[in-house]
Order: sequence, then C-alpha cells, then structure tokens
Amino acid sequence: MKRNSLPRRPSIRIPERVDVPTARLATLGNGVRLYLLENHDQQVVRLSFVFGAGSSRQTALFSATSAANLLSEGSDRFTARQIAEQLDFYGSYFDIAVDRDMVVVSFCALSKFVMPTLQTAEEILLRPSFPQQEFDSYRIKRRQRLEIERRKVDVRVREAFAAAMFGADHPYGISAPESAYDELTRDDVVDFYRRHYTADNCYVVCSGDLSDEALAAIENICVQLPQSGERNELIFPAMVQTPRVRLEHAGAVQSAVRVGRMLFTRNHPDYVGMQVVATVLGGYFGSRLMRNLREERGYTYGVFAGMVNLDRAGYLAIATQVAEAAREDTLHQIYTEIERLRTEPISEQELSLVKNIMVGEMMRILDGPFGIVDVTIENVQCGTDNHAVERTVEAIRRCTPEDVQRLAEKYLRREDLVEVTVG
Amino acid sequence: MINYKLHTLPNGLRVAASRDRNSKLAAVNLLYCVGARNEHPDHTGFAHLFEHLMFRGTRRIPDFDTPVQMACGENNAFTNNDYTDFYITLPTANVETALWLESDRMTGLRLTPRKFEAEKRVVIEEYNQRYLNQPYGDQMMLARALHYRVHPYRWATIGLTPDHVAAATIAEAEAFYRRYYRPSNAILSIVGDLEEERAFELAEKWFGGIADEQFVADTLPVEPEQTEARRLEVERDVPATAITITFPMGDRHSRDFYLLDLVSDLLAGGESARLYDELVRRRRLFGAVNAYITGDVDAGMFVMTGQVAAGVEVAEAEAALWDELHCLQTERVGDYELEKVRNKFEAGVLFGELNVMNKAMNLGYYSMLGTPELINGEVAIYRSISAEEIAEGCRRIFTPERSSTLIYRAANETK
Repeated sequence: MKRNSLPRRPSIRIPERVDVPTARLATLGNGVRLYLLENHDQQVVRLSFVFGAGSSRQTALFSATSAANLLSEGSDRFTARQIAEQLDFYGSYFDIAVDRDMVVVSFCALSKFVMPTLQTAEEILLRPSFPQQEFDSYRIKRRQRLEIERRKVDVRVREAFAAAMFGADHPYGISAPESAYDELTRDDVVDFYRRHYTADNCYVVCSGDLSDEALAAIENICVQLPQSGERNELIFPAMVQTPRVRLEHAGAVQSAVRVGRMLFTRNHPDYVGMQVVATVLGGYFGSRLMRNLREERGYTYGVFAGMVNLDRAGYLAIATQVAEAAREDTLHQIYTEIERLRTEPISEQELSLVKNIMVGEMMRILDGPFGIVDVTIENVQCGTDNHAVERTVEAIRRCTPEDVQRLAEKYLRREDLVEVTVG
Repeated sequence: MINYKLHTLPNGLRVAASRDRNSKLAAVNLLYCVGARNEHPDHTGFAHLFEHLMFRGTRRIPDFDTPVQMACGENNAFTNNDYTDFYITLPTANVETALWLESDRMTGLRLTPRKFEAEKRVVIEEYNQRYLNQPYGDQMMLARALHYRVHPYRWATIGLTPDHVAAATIAEAEAFYRRYYRPSNAILSIVGDLEEERAFELAEKWFGGIADEQFVADTLPVEPEQTEARRLEVERDVPATAITITFPMGDRHSRDFYLLDLVSDLLAGGESARLYDELVRRRRLFGAVNAYITGDVDAGMFVMTGQVAAGVEVAEAEAALWDELHCLQTERVGDYELEKVRNKFEAGVLFGELNVMNKAMNLGYYSMLGTPELINGEVAIYRSISAEEIAEGCRRIFTPERSSTLIYRAANETK
C-alpha cells in the first residue's frame, strides 16, 4: 500500500498531577463514617460498605469468609432466592470482597433504581438470618471447591508463602485445612457477624449520581448498625519467618515460585520508592523479569512483582510459574536481577518509563465514576485521604536512579529474602 | 447515551468521535473488519496469529509497547470471529502518540522469519494452555463444529488445530496484511476531552496519507437450514458430564437476536433466573447451568449448557433442559419477569459505557455493524419485545430438528 511520509513523531506530555476529588465526610451519631463522592455525569451509583471483618479477626476458622458470603443468602424477611431476585430485577450489581483485614460489600445501581437496591442492601447488611440449610450447602460447596483449588500449584504457593512470611499460626499467615469446614457451625458465623458487622467497625464510601433521598436512605441503613461495645483491637503474635520452603506437588506440569521480603505498610517513607523498585523489577509488560524470564528464556507466560499491602504489614512479592526444569535457573535469574538493581544504577530512560507507567495506571483506575471508591477505601484504610494520591504522584516523580539503587541495596539483601517453591 | 459524530476519510477510513469532557484520558480504538470468518478452512487461526504479529514492530518503530508506556498509556487487542480490535488509552494530551503508532503499523509492519516463528510458538502455547490442557477446553469447539456445516463460524478464533498455525508462512501473512489491514477496511474511534472536529483533523493528519481503494468484502458460504437433530458424544477426563444444546438463530440485525438475548437472560441471567433456580437450586440436577447467544454478525448460535450433578442420569438432566424450553413455548412470561430482564439490559448498557475505553470500543463495534445509531437504540428494541412474541419465537426456534446436542461425558463415570 502506498503512503506519503508519516508526520513527525508527536512529542509527549506527562501530566503534572493527577486530580482526585476529595470525599465529603459525614460522621453519623453511632460513629459510622460516610464518605461521599458525588458526580452526576452518569446516572449510576456505587456504594461500598467496609467492615473490619477480614479473616485475621476470626477465632473459628472460615467464620469470616462464611459470614461475608452468606450475608445475601437469606434475611429475616426474604429467602436467598428473593434477595437475588430483587437485585436482578433492577439490574443492580452486588459484590463481596474478603481479605485478611476487611470485607467490602458493594452495590452498583442505576440511579433511578438506587432506592429499591438500598432496601435490599438493608436486608443483606442488617438482617441476615444465616439459614441453617443455606449454611450447610455452602459449607459442602466451599469445602469441595477448596479441595480442587489446592490441586493448583499457584494456590498452594500463595498459602505457603504467607505461612513462610508470617508463620503458620499468625493471622496473616494461616491457611485452614479443608476439614475446618466440618467443624464450623452456624453459631460461629452468627457470632462473627454480631461482633464485627457493627457501627464502630464500619465506614461507607459512595460515588456517583447520589440524590438527597438516596443519601438519607444510606444514612438510615448506617444508623441502624449496632455498636458492639467491645474494642476489637487484636493482639497479633510475633512473626515467625521461614526463609526457604520447598514443597512437592504430585502431577504438576509447572513449578510455582515466590520470592519476597517483609517490608512495611503504606505509610512508611520508603513505601512509594519500593513501589517504583517493584515496578522496575516486575510491574509491567516490559519489566526486567518479564524480559529475562519470558522474552529471553521462554520459561514462563508471565512474572509479576509488586507490593502486597495489609493493615499491619506489607511485603514485596515476586511470583511466577515456570516449567519444572527451569525452576532453579528461574530463581537464579530472579536473584541476579535483584543484584543488578543493587549494584548498577538504573538509566534515566528506564526510570522515566516506569514512572510514566505508574502515573498512567493511577489515571486509568480513576477513569469513570466507580474507581474512585477503591482509591478512597485504600486511603481511608491507611488513615489518610485522597490528597495522598497527589503526594504519591509527587514522590514517584521525585524518585532518582540513586534512590532506586539505595532502596534496593537497603531492602533487597539476599539474606533477607524468603523463597518458596511448589512442584 | 453516547453523543458522537461520524466522518469518512477519502481513503475510506471510517472515523467515529465522541467528546468526553469529564475524562483526563483519551481512548483510541482501531477496529479491522477481519476475523476468523475470513480464514480459509485449511488455514484457520490466522487472524488471531496476525493480531499478535501487529505488536512485533515496524520498519520505523521496532518496539510498539515502549512509546505507549512512555506516554503513560496502555494498550491491548483481541480477535474474534468477526473482527480484530486494537486499543490504547493514554492522557488526552498524548492522543497523537496513539495515532502515530496505529497509522505506522497499518502499513509499516516488518516481519522477520525469527519474529514470525517465535510468535507462532507463543500462539501454539496459548492453544495448548487454554484449549487442550484445560478441563472442558474443547467443548465449545466441538459444539461449533456440530452446529455449523459450511459457515466459517464452525471454527473458533484460535483455529481448528495448532497444526494450521504451525504451517503458516510469512508470504501468507504479508498477503493477509495487504488484503485486510487498510483504511477502507478499518474503523477508528477516538473518545476523550477533545472536540469531534479536532479528532477528525487528527485522523486526517495521521491516516489521510495512506492511499486506498474501496474494499470488496469476502463472500462467505451461507449455512443451509438445519432440518435434522444432530448429536455427538465424546469422553474426556473432566469431573462432571456436560450437556450442550445449540439452536441456529438470526444474524446480529434480526429481531430474533434481541428476542433470544432476552430469552437467554430469562434462563440464565443471574441466580434468580430459571435454570439456576429450577435445575440447580430446586431439582438439583445440575451443578452449574448457563444459556447465552454467541452474538456474531452472521447467523449465530443460541447455547444452553450445564454440568450434570453427581449421581444424576444424563438423560434426565437433558430432558430437564427441554422442560425449560417447553415452558417458554407454552406459558406466557409474566410481566414482572420480563421487566426484570429488560431492566438488566438497560443497566448493562449504562455500566458498559462508564469509561473512555468502553465507549471507544462500542463506537467501533456499532460502526462495524453498519448501524452506529444502535449504540443508543438497543434498550428501546429490548423494551419493545412482548411476552407473546417471546413464546411465538421460542416455538419457532427451539424444535428438536433444529437442535444440536453435545454430550461431553466424564470418563470415569459409568453410563
């Protein structure tokens, strides 16, 4: 095909700042904090209820995830089917995310259907009845699913890595055996719900096309949350690290590999710098580990490095799955790439590429009316607000090749790394 | 509701633009009207392989990803039976970087034997990983081959066999590139905080210099009317036997498309829908069930599928799927239930256009269909379909002689 000469390569501009709306905060009589991010551009609403009800808070194994997942499986007034029907009828989306620290219960609805969606939300959040029959069938299904999941090397390595980092009995390191589902009772779930789905353990983030009527209805749900009267401040045991774990896996085609280092939470002054280090190493498609392990050696379809953030800890993790024969060289290559970061300064060009990727990623999360909720939750969880995004972007832009090398030298010493392989 | 403007360059490139004043990002979507449908039956999987090759660098720009990332952008692509779609999102100020890259790779691709062979290996690994080494991985491939006799939809985008990909040559790739990757066979959509007229100027600046003549589309074989029930049984190492029943349906512009889309939601749109409620929750015949339409441009498939629960006879489970179809044929859908599935489409449309990337993709897709106005018009069509029309349609479409049944039997199960 014929073409005239292509115009000159366009120059690029890197956004000076990433604008993030700040949430309007209303604290209700019972202590529930309500963060509002109104935006009337599109006729949709998202609201997320955040409870400090993650698995690190449970005494009975699986009670935290079970309580969260059974919230919508029947209330005092409605069956599981009726609740599903009410959400489906208005085309509303409902989602529950559980991690070690928290549970996020989210609803997305067209703004014209937000009122009936809130009525269902009220049933789910305030009046779950945990019917025995639903509990029994849930327990069986989940146990089977977990058994199947644990046949996968990537699931096993994730669990083994948490245990190696924190200790097998630590709330952040524990993985319950499937048999714990047999011992779990409905009372455990009800008890967990009563203690943790409370006003003093909850905040709410709403975005989108919120009307005064909807706001009043949201407040009305929040004020009905009871106060637990107890301080849920957990005392965590000391961490116990195991530097090297190797597990066999029958019939595995690939080996799963994780290497990491216990670091700090998001409030630490070196956090953003270490995020840059992690991105250089394995945070994007052309990262050093991707080029080394995928493009040059063809060991893997993908490798990833990033910071893992919990309320009370944070660590760097590098994860990949490789052909079994390539396992040892993969580890060798990972350590070689880490060593290279510690001994050679990164070029200005590579560092600016990484910075631009990180800023672009932040902008993409914030595009549209819903991503802002996730960003707000992350900031509230860290005890800050959405101004933190500006500070993060500034810190990313300030990062120099010397910083990258200094941080890698300080935090990524070979003897501080934990290594786990499965298969 | 998406406001947009359309413009066609003299070389035939169709451009759709929509200004989004609220976003800091721009999305550039370039859709080529070529997919697995355009492949020769002995050379399948080629359109998808070619999509991979488009990331392998050009004479001027050896590495595609780095300039995108340098501009704070992100890019990706996908191929299906009907078209191939490339998209980039980046800060609006850098929109020209996306146009520069896309216009460059529309003509300047540089294929070397080394890159070509490496990419073939990647695609063959993808085939192994996603379709062969995966429980139920080839189920839909088998269902397609049973459903279609002559139309190229009888193979999946990944191809009929990895051997076809292995046998592909650079000469074929170059011919494919010249035939399909050209302005008159492409649709550019741009969404971001820039005036539509400005988007058209930029399209002209970056693509106007590529000369082209009118594209003459391939003539595809027309699938003959099915008049006899078809059946296939296979055995595989899977945990549960799966049943799949398919029926031929109209093309993307037919009224049946909307009707059957609604029907698939009556059956399987969420946990309150009929199949889950009746066959999983109440009768406990299946562990999982689903119903959907393939949504292709030409006459597509209505698919109903489920994994049989342990201890249940396959024949009983199969009969139960037909019970649900008979119920649709004989009992009028209630107003409440019909309103539910209509609402779901309305919500789906709104949730599907919340960011610039989705909007740009949708603009490209509806322009490819030749009916861009449908981007804002489909909710009304769904709302216009009545309960009587649904019953009538189900009687016409769900007949045994138009069915194709695939029994994907778990190997360790006795009959």
